[in-house]
Amino acid sequence: MTAVPVPLAARRPRPLISWRVRQLMVGYSYLLPAALCMLATVVVPIGMAMKMSLYNDVLYKPQDYRFIGLGNYVRLAQDAVFWLTLWNSFVWVFGSVVLQFVAGFAAALLLHQAFTGRAVVRMLALLPWIIPGVVVGLIWEWLYQPNYGVINDLLIKAGWLHDRIAWLSSPDLAMAAVVFTNVWRGIPFFAIMLLAGLQAIPGELYEAAHVDGAGVLARFRHITLPLLRPIIVVATATRIIWTFNYADLIFVMTSGGPANATQITSTYTLLQAYANLDFGYAAALSVVLLLVMLAFTAAYLRLTRGVEEVG
Amino acid sequence: MMRRRAPADLADRLLRGPVLWSGLATLTAFALGPFIWMLLTSLKSREELYATPLQYLPQHPTFENYVDAWTSPVTPFSRFFLNSLWVCSVTMVATTAVSVLAGYAIARFRFAGRDALLLIFLATQMFPSVLLIAPLLTQWRALGLIDTYQALIYSNFSFTVPFTVWMMVGYFSSIPRDLEESAMIDGCNHFSALCRVVLPLAAPGIAATAIFAFVVSWSELLFAISFTTETDMRTLSAGLLYMVGQYEVQWGPLSAGVIMSTVPVAVLFVFLQRHLIHGLTAGAVKG
Repeated sequence: MTAVPVPLAARRPRPLISWRVRQLMVGYSYLLPAALCMLATVVVPIGMAMKMSLYNDVLYKPQDYRFIGLGNYVRLAQDAVFWLTLWNSFVWVFGSVVLQFVAGFAAALLLHQAFTGRAVVRMLALLPWIIPGVVVGLIWEWLYQPNYGVINDLLIKAGWLHDRIAWLSSPDLAMAAVVFTNVWRGIPFFAIMLLAGLQAIPGELYEAAHVDGAGVLARFRHITLPLLRPIIVVATATRIIWTFNYADLIFVMTSGGPANATQITSTYTLLQAYANLDFGYAAALSVVLLLVMLAFTAAYLRLTRGVEEVG
Repeated sequence: MMRRRAPADLADRLLRGPVLWSGLATLTAFALGPFIWMLLTSLKSREELYATPLQYLPQHPTFENYVDAWTSPVTPFSRFFLNSLWVCSVTMVATTAVSVLAGYAIARFRFAGRDALLLIFLATQMFPSVLLIAPLLTQWRALGLIDTYQALIYSNFSFTVPFTVWMMVGYFSSIPRDLEESAMIDGCNHFSALCRVVLPLAAPGIAATAIFAFVVSWSELLFAISFTTETDMRTLSAGLLYMVGQYEVQWGPLSAGVIMSTVPVAVLFVFLQRHLIHGLTAGAVKG
């Protein structure tokens, strides 16, 4: 480059707003739209829910609208159905997550192997995860259908069943049926997560262990499990929270019936808001949901801190 | 390569052979079986559908269920489909625009409350959406937005924005700063550096995130049933549920509706699964 005569820089007048402040303002202006979205659709509504929970607020009885303090919470503590839904939520979350984890782990181990057509199989196996909840619910409602459902038909053909079973309207079986559906849907989530974890483990570790004479089980126990532990904790915790909050599937399949056999706390909240239009009570229930979730998250954060220290 | 290894033991050979193949076959059959059954159902005529004993394969495959569902005046599936397409597309575009800006700001600017903000975006992903129904319904009623697309689109932000911002922060942090800095030395301001340098580099990730916003909005049910009352305003998820609510369940048209609702997201998933999976697992693997 040839030297171009440059006029000596004159000292620029000091800008009205300093560079640092301008940077900050640009940053904040980029954040503004997202912050407004969150404010309007999450933060304000949560505040409103907390306020609503202190009022007697039934949509079709506006004349009864009044402040009742902790009235909704007292009602909640005395509501046998509420305590039942907490227990049902536990069964629903525990059953779903444990089975999803075990089956998802098996699926991840299978999909991690090298074989021809792996990409296609992997994609097909993950498909249930992307499907809308309503669709999942309806597909399985049809599979469970007592007279024309294929599940009864196959079980009878195999000789494991004599009479047709009304899976979703039997108080003893409905919960197992919806949990099984949720497992079908959730296996891909664990498969994806754990597969990503497996792929991050260096292959040399296995080869070295192999040379040292470690068998399949020993390699699994001493390499795979410890190295996957962080991702197992994260995936399980997010899944527990998600399943606890998830209402769509049960709402579509049984609406919490028969006789509240599948009523979990989130569907019960939905029912109070959507069907009974009892917003005050629904808000109190959702505040409780939120508290349960926060307690769980706090416990989870403590646990992961432990994981980091160990790892 | 194989020769350098110690000889495989029996368990190893079994695991790589029969166990692997039977496991894969079970997995695929379990994942796909229910879809295939629904597809077969949708191709059966009414007589075949309710035949005893059960008829597994349609003898005379017919598309009448699809035509029925699509054109029915009582449950206008074509209308549901267009509603979903519109709500999800607008949600996708708006969410992406908002979260690109926010993600960039969080990844590049240091400011007070940055960590708190990130934590809020993370925490809101864990909130139950049933929590929002009563307050949002009150809010939309007060604003006269019941039975409008706006109400559904705004409500969708509550779950799309936190997630997409979170993903964007990850993408932008992985792009080296030097590139924009040199662009800014060359005379770009922040915004044009973002548009000309950063966005092209982050494009694949942004596209995947956008599609993800589309797919999760496509599945949304609770807001759609709570904030609409007219049949014509229902989205696919709400419309399918509405089809069930009509007198007796018509499994023929319903199964056709189920298949039609599944196909768009399945196609998107096929094209984008690699990106999506990468985006979803990146944070978890790192942590």
